[in-house]
Amino acid sequence: MAIAKMNKVYLIGHQDEKDNTLSILQQVGMMEIGDIQAKEASKEAWAELVEGDHEQESLQGLEARLTEVRFAMDFLNRYYPVKKSMLEALGGDRKAVTTSEFVANAAEWNRVASDIYRELRKTDEKLMSLRNEETRLQNLKTLVLPWEQLAVPLEEIYSTASVCIELGTLPAAELAALRERLLAAAKESYLAEVHVDRNEVYVFLAYPASLAEEVREILKQVGFNKQVFPALAGTPVEILARVGQELVMIAEQRKEILADTEKQVEFRDILSYYYDYLVMERDKKQVVTNLARTNNAFIMEGWIREKDLPELEKKLSAGCDTVVAVAREPEPGEHFPVSLENTRLVAPFEFITTLYGVPHPHGVDPTLALTPFFVMFFGLCMSDAGYGVVIAALAALALWKLKMSKMARRVFWILLAGGISTIIFGALIGGWFGGLIPLEPLFFNALLDPMRMLVYALAIGVFQIFVGMGIQFYHNIRAGKILDAISDQLFWGLFIIGLIMFAFPELKVVATNLSLASAAGLVLTQGRAQTGIFRKFLSGLFSLYNVTGFLGDILSYSRLLALGLASSVIAMAVNMLAFMLGGTIIGSVLMVIMLIGGHTFNIVINILGSYVHSSRLQYLEFFNRFFVSGGRPFKPFKLNTNYVEVTADWPGVPLQKAAQYKL
Amino acid sequence: MEVGLGLAILGAAVATLLAGIGSAIGIGIAGQTAAGVISEDPDKFGLTIVLTALPGTQGIYGLIMGFLILFRTGLLGGELVALTIPQGLALLFAALPIGFVGWLSAIYQGKAVAAGIQLIAKRPEEFGKAMIYGVMVETYAVFALLMSIMIFMFLPI
Repeated sequence: MAIAKMNKVYLIGHQDEKDNTLSILQQVGMMEIGDIQAKEASKEAWAELVEGDHEQESLQGLEARLTEVRFAMDFLNRYYPVKKSMLEALGGDRKAVTTSEFVANAAEWNRVASDIYRELRKTDEKLMSLRNEETRLQNLKTLVLPWEQLAVPLEEIYSTASVCIELGTLPAAELAALRERLLAAAKESYLAEVHVDRNEVYVFLAYPASLAEEVREILKQVGFNKQVFPALAGTPVEILARVGQELVMIAEQRKEILADTEKQVEFRDILSYYYDYLVMERDKKQVVTNLARTNNAFIMEGWIREKDLPELEKKLSAGCDTVVAVAREPEPGEHFPVSLENTRLVAPFEFITTLYGVPHPHGVDPTLALTPFFVMFFGLCMSDAGYGVVIAALAALALWKLKMSKMARRVFWILLAGGISTIIFGALIGGWFGGLIPLEPLFFNALLDPMRMLVYALAIGVFQIFVGMGIQFYHNIRAGKILDAISDQLFWGLFIIGLIMFAFPELKVVATNLSLASAAGLVLTQGRAQTGIFRKFLSGLFSLYNVTGFLGDILSYSRLLALGLASSVIAMAVNMLAFMLGGTIIGSVLMVIMLIGGHTFNIVINILGSYVHSSRLQYLEFFNRFFVSGGRPFKPFKLNTNYVEVTADWPGVPLQKAAQYKL
Repeated sequence: MEVGLGLAILGAAVATLLAGIGSAIGIGIAGQTAAGVISEDPDKFGLTIVLTALPGTQGIYGLIMGFLILFRTGLLGGELVALTIPQGLALLFAALPIGFVGWLSAIYQGKAVAAGIQLIAKRPEEFGKAMIYGVMVETYAVFALLMSIMIFMFLPI
């Protein structure tokens, strides 16, 4: 239930074993490798003995290889898509391999992947040229289509010595004007409409060559656009038929090509395994940039959880001959990466903590403290035992049956806990499916007595805020800040308790004395950061105004009542509407559909509401009292696979000898 | 039909329609931003949908108040209740907090979550913070619903 103790660790070894060491570190995934050349380290005396390390060339080679494999995978996914179900998207079934299998197969995968890449590249080029050809034909089709009615082969439309023959378009509005003026200027000319569309008219025009100049002048004025079809033979109808045939052929060719290539789909898995393998190798080369070297030695630094250190040392000494690990505790004030450690029941709720932020390395991990509150609030907001049964059952089923990522697993754990809590609180103060199962609440019915529920909700709020202050009190005491603990937590706590006591008339005297005394304490201490008696006093006095903040925070817990009522009322409304449908056979069917659909909707929408509001009460009202964020999450150097699940069986097989990827 | 009953029904209508309009606008604002983010990175759908759905709750709160009033008047599932004009007015007033606060808070919440969606487009790890800004607006709709329900519950009808 805390922030894990971290150690800074330095690894020093022979260059020959560098890659080996990185492999081990990657397999065990325990150490975060920092940049040893960063400013902090360069102050050390040994800093000038070493220089930065990198392996640019092999890194670039691997990157290029990754691009190829990515291309092949994308190609297959584009043309032969696999439908992924919602369940698979949760993190899915990943092939389990051991490290040595992984590495031993790499050479074979490499060969397969290279073949597929070459093949697919060729296919891609073929498809590309087909696509270009298709575009060209489509354009031609659009060009020729308006002339479909013209019964003359296009190659026969040319001017002779005495007659000019032209095809062209002009704005439809100008056609009458053109006819008229042609009649006046060149009586012998011939004008035929071939096709009219929305704006343009397509015409065939013949006129005597002797009058060419006059006619061209007219054509210019009416906006005539001459159209020529070089290199096209046959009538437009013939041309269109030919184009149509060619398009069909292209479609067939494409189908053939794709059918030919489809056999590559069976290698999709291998491609994805190989992709993961390449990512693993790439990551190793990338992290080398963080290392420093001399001619024969390497040195790296990083952070590791203190409890993992013996295990790492054991693995290193088993896999390498020359590597030495030197570890030390963080220096006072030194910022180390934060890794949260909680028991298995509580660990899923780290999800909620980290969504807000990672705690400061010298702060407190709030996960354990927020877990019971979050679970309780979730139950109070859902407040229907029937819904609780549904949520808990579905979450349990998902956890039991489905393979999913760690993150998804955590979310379902939280839902399971929330569901169970909903059953408890629903049975105590709510109903079962909005009264569909007529069971009386065991404690009292919040819907009928909301005032009572409101008091409980606010009381829970006061309790949580006090827990928050208690945590900070304890933390301050442990850090030796006794004055802070007394003035910021103890006085405030007593002050609030005093104010609450006013609600009970028999405690009036105690309440007055307690609140006045603690208020005096606050006025005297809250201004201690200021200079000068007057300022100290004023700022202390003003701090009493913060009581409105406490009040607002406590009132904020009234949402527990409101959301609980909201889900109950909707559930009741669903039942009522559904029963109004009942009576006939069709009505009864509709009623069942309405019940299922309505309650499902209500469950989904209330899970959302319960989750966000329960989180909010932690983040704002609770965390406010003690939580300091600003930590950097611990990111150990590890295997980063998307498609396979690697279990390390290292050391055992000489990894580097098996890994013979050719670049 | 009595005037009192008419006023009560007006209350049910006002609660549902004002809060519903607000939610529709709020989700609309959030949805546009979310669609823009998805065009760049479809994997963020799960994160954006939670934020986009947030301004939808006001419409539900309004609906809840509408249902409560309809139950009380007997219009839904029961005998029609005879309401005096003051009683009808009181039910109408009970609807106003969630109607008005729901309406405006949903719109502003829509803007807040739209900004939050842009935040997680760049930094998905800050999802929790993006959510808080939206939920802070929501608080006032919850309070308004609480007040509406309180007025409703303690009306001597």
